[in-house]
Amino acid sequence: MTRSQRRHAAAAVRYAALTLWALIVAFPLYWMVSTSFKPSDQWFSWPPVWFPSPPTLENYRDVWLGTTSVAAGGQYAMEMQTPFLALRNTLLLAFGATTLAVLYGSIIAYGVSRYRLLSEVRMFQLLMLRMVPPIVIVAPLSLYYSYIGLLDSMFGLGVLYFLSSLPYAVWMTKSFIDEVPREVEQAAEILGASRWRTIFEVVLPLIRSGLVATFMFILILNWSEYLLALILSKTHVVTLPVELSKYEGSTEGRLFGRQAALSVGITVPLMIVGILIRKHLARGFSFGMVRR
Amino acid sequence: MAEVLAGAVPAGTAAGRREVSRSRAVRRFKWIILLPLLLTLFSLLIPVLLLQLYFSFHQWTVYLSSWWNADFVAFDIFASVFTDPRFGWALLRSLAFAGGSTIGCFVFGFLLAYLIYRPFRGQALYYALFILPMLTVPIVIAYTGQMLLDRSGPLNGILSRLSGHDVQVLWLSNPDIALLTVTLLDIWNWTPFSFIIMLAGLASLPKEPIEAAQILGASSWRIFLEVQLPLLRPVILLALILRFLDAMGAFPIIWALLQGGPGTATETLGIYIYITTWQDFNVSLGAAQSYITMVMMVVIVLGAIQLLRKEKRSLDQMYAKPAEAGEAG
Amino acid sequence: MARIELVNLAKSYGPVLAVRNLSFNIEDGEFIVFVGPSGCGKTTTLRLIAGFEEPDRGEIRIDGRVVNDLEPRDRGLGMVFQSHALFPHKTVAQNIEFGLRMKKVGREERVRRVLEVAEMVRLTNLLHQMPSACSGGEAQRVALARTLVTNPSTFLLDEPLSSLDAKLRRELRAECDRLHQELKKTFIYVTHDQEEAMTLADRIVVMRSGQIEQIGSPMEIYSNPVTDFVADFFGSPSMNLIAGELIHQGTGPRFHSINISIALPDPFNDLPDGAVSLGIRPENVIVQPGAAATADLNLPVRLVEPLGKDTLLYFDVGSERPLVAVCEGLTMAEMEAGDRVALTFAREWIFLFGGDGRCIARGKPGSAPMRAQLAGTRA
Repeated sequence: MTRSQRRHAAAAVRYAALTLWALIVAFPLYWMVSTSFKPSDQWFSWPPVWFPSPPTLENYRDVWLGTTSVAAGGQYAMEMQTPFLALRNTLLLAFGATTLAVLYGSIIAYGVSRYRLLSEVRMFQLLMLRMVPPIVIVAPLSLYYSYIGLLDSMFGLGVLYFLSSLPYAVWMTKSFIDEVPREVEQAAEILGASRWRTIFEVVLPLIRSGLVATFMFILILNWSEYLLALILSKTHVVTLPVELSKYEGSTEGRLFGRQAALSVGITVPLMIVGILIRKHLARGFSFGMVRR
Repeated sequence: MAEVLAGAVPAGTAAGRREVSRSRAVRRFKWIILLPLLLTLFSLLIPVLLLQLYFSFHQWTVYLSSWWNADFVAFDIFASVFTDPRFGWALLRSLAFAGGSTIGCFVFGFLLAYLIYRPFRGQALYYALFILPMLTVPIVIAYTGQMLLDRSGPLNGILSRLSGHDVQVLWLSNPDIALLTVTLLDIWNWTPFSFIIMLAGLASLPKEPIEAAQILGASSWRIFLEVQLPLLRPVILLALILRFLDAMGAFPIIWALLQGGPGTATETLGIYIYITTWQDFNVSLGAAQSYITMVMMVVIVLGAIQLLRKEKRSLDQMYAKPAEAGEAG
Repeated sequence: MARIELVNLAKSYGPVLAVRNLSFNIEDGEFIVFVGPSGCGKTTTLRLIAGFEEPDRGEIRIDGRVVNDLEPRDRGLGMVFQSHALFPHKTVAQNIEFGLRMKKVGREERVRRVLEVAEMVRLTNLLHQMPSACSGGEAQRVALARTLVTNPSTFLLDEPLSSLDAKLRRELRAECDRLHQELKKTFIYVTHDQEEAMTLADRIVVMRSGQIEQIGSPMEIYSNPVTDFVADFFGSPSMNLIAGELIHQGTGPRFHSINISIALPDPFNDLPDGAVSLGIRPENVIVQPGAAATADLNLPVRLVEPLGKDTLLYFDVGSERPLVAVCEGLTMAEMEAGDRVALTFAREWIFLFGGDGRCIARGKPGSAPMRAQLAGTRA
């Protein structure tokens, strides 16, 4: 085989493998979307219906604009609220906690980068804080919260989201700050700027795109958080993921179509954000193990 | 000079600034930054951990009395955890799940990264597509999984079509394969994570040593083993460690999909703790279980930190700039 | 034996034509230097020879055998890269022995040859170090050793000295030269530095925009540039180029520009009138203090640069670049800006370049138009 023939053969194999995985990725997503458009008689039929005929918007209508309050059984013995409340909560919590985390995190990152605020060990410990499964502390946490009245409150949940976002915020913004040449700050310092001013007027604006990427990344994490929201919320603070889980115990049977409609609503914003920052994702995950 | 500076800076600061020594100012700066963090951590974490400890030593039956009147039982509860076979099984299942997910995500992620890291037509499209599973919420995956893996669901449909006869695998209701099923779902979910990490690693490898190896007679396989893999070790470890830690604590996907069932087939540590605490309302037992699990995780995490730091150090050293002027001929 | 033939090579990257229709032969044992500005195609050509790129058209032959289809490892070549390209996780010794291991050479033999080569490049005391502990010069010598030890028929060197400081560059340059003398193998060297080309090459290939501009020994390139590009590229400070006109008057051919009117010698007689550029190297501009009627130009000095060994004098002649004259020693160092001097151009060293850049004629009697020097077509 000539060289270019070899090259082409290898390319063909590559395309085959990649396409295979692409199908594996795409299929569940496709199913979710298509089910959300299926009328209820096509939700589970054998053989399965691949394409809704005819496609309908009734699932979306029921879920998002629904006046139907599905009497949810199981452990969520409460009325289903219209997801817009959950959406609002999720938006507020996610955006709020993320903004604070990125802001504070970048300040800490600045301290670490320029003044060794945290040693390398501490930086890793900070990261690992996030790695301990939250399940191990939710029990006493919920008790503590109920004791100090933070249970089922936006603030209570928000603080937790903020804390758990911080490690990522610090790590990611630090890598961006590291790339700002010190000379720029030194120039500012000679011109009389205080440290705080340097941070806010010189350094942070220079890493704007990095901050945006960090923000979006952490937003994704907070948006999809489930466990804490589940345990620490009762009626007031319901987030979207928790809302979705209410369908699980529904007494009307498995409402696949509506679940799908809600799922699509939760997932699509995340995917859009994720695609937007796809070039920055690698940076967020490198944690110093990749040479720049 | 001082006048110029004073003009650019609010009056009064210049004189004050000269008095405060630089190192003192830096220290103050550092403390100001850290204070909010420390405050929140202490006001939150310490009480919670103490409570956890308290419950581990005091048997509290929820409906009987208020929690501060619980009976002190010393190490009884801890002992019961260690002698509880169900706990041991839960641990095993967690390890199996985490191990399976870690290896699966790594193998697929590495493979995909290797196939994709050199530019080719359609690269961007494949990349964008491949990161999508990570952007789905575990809950969504759980419910979509429910739909897909139903006995009369599309996955069985495809398998039937491919194999020619009616395939109706009980992905979710067969206790023997339920754990496998949920592991596969987790792999689907998190492969992009390993994929991105490995991609970053591969892309950061210096290209010229690879070409040098080529012209020195190395085959592709040799190059992979001797040039690429050793340089990728830090990144590989990172991918494995992060995924493993995360998978050990996996809760939403298993709970939402199977609630630890069928029976206890998918009851991992997290699930078991949840059931103990919120279904059996045995808060004390749950607390003790949590504590033991937490200690275990912390030990693993500390080990991981050591490993990663060592790798980072060797990485920095390898890529350090050669000594500048003043080299001995 | 390693005779390399490049036949009608062409390579593009998308819309960019990196190499166009390049044909050239390299004899066994030659030190060939491909030189030219960034983007001229010299590195691409080297990589084509090495096998890292495949040509769109044309053939590469080594010892008569077409190697287009061979992978780099099967071509029997050795290569030194611009950035040493050492394996950062292996020691110097492990780096050097790598090629031998790939050839399945036994351990004893490997050790022997590694030591042998390490001595050749004076690295014996570094063998157990890691590349990151080596300085730039040491690292490049390790790279050399790594290639040397595999005994290739041809050495390819891609700007190996670019990343080093001036002093190191000179040292390693001498090293390359020495190695070539000792080993008597073919060296194909790529650089953008004309000084390296001049000092190292048996033959220089000047490239521009993917094509060969001129081939020749350093002497030929320097004294008989085929185009103004080549003339300008070689020599430091570069050749003075003044735009103007060739006019035939009663007294013979003359060159006219803004402030200049110079009588040209006989070789320029048969040329048609027209727009030309006059080229004269700074060392061929003879300077005498004061004014003289017989001089070509009487001008005030604009700038004096005493360099110790030479002194540079700058003059305004109405073109963008000033006229530069080089005077030996410090005799002219006393000059100040504004002093008037008389300038004469050494007649033998006057070049005239046409509108397309080609050298039309040279002041030296008996030199025909340089068409014969050009190898490879020019678009």
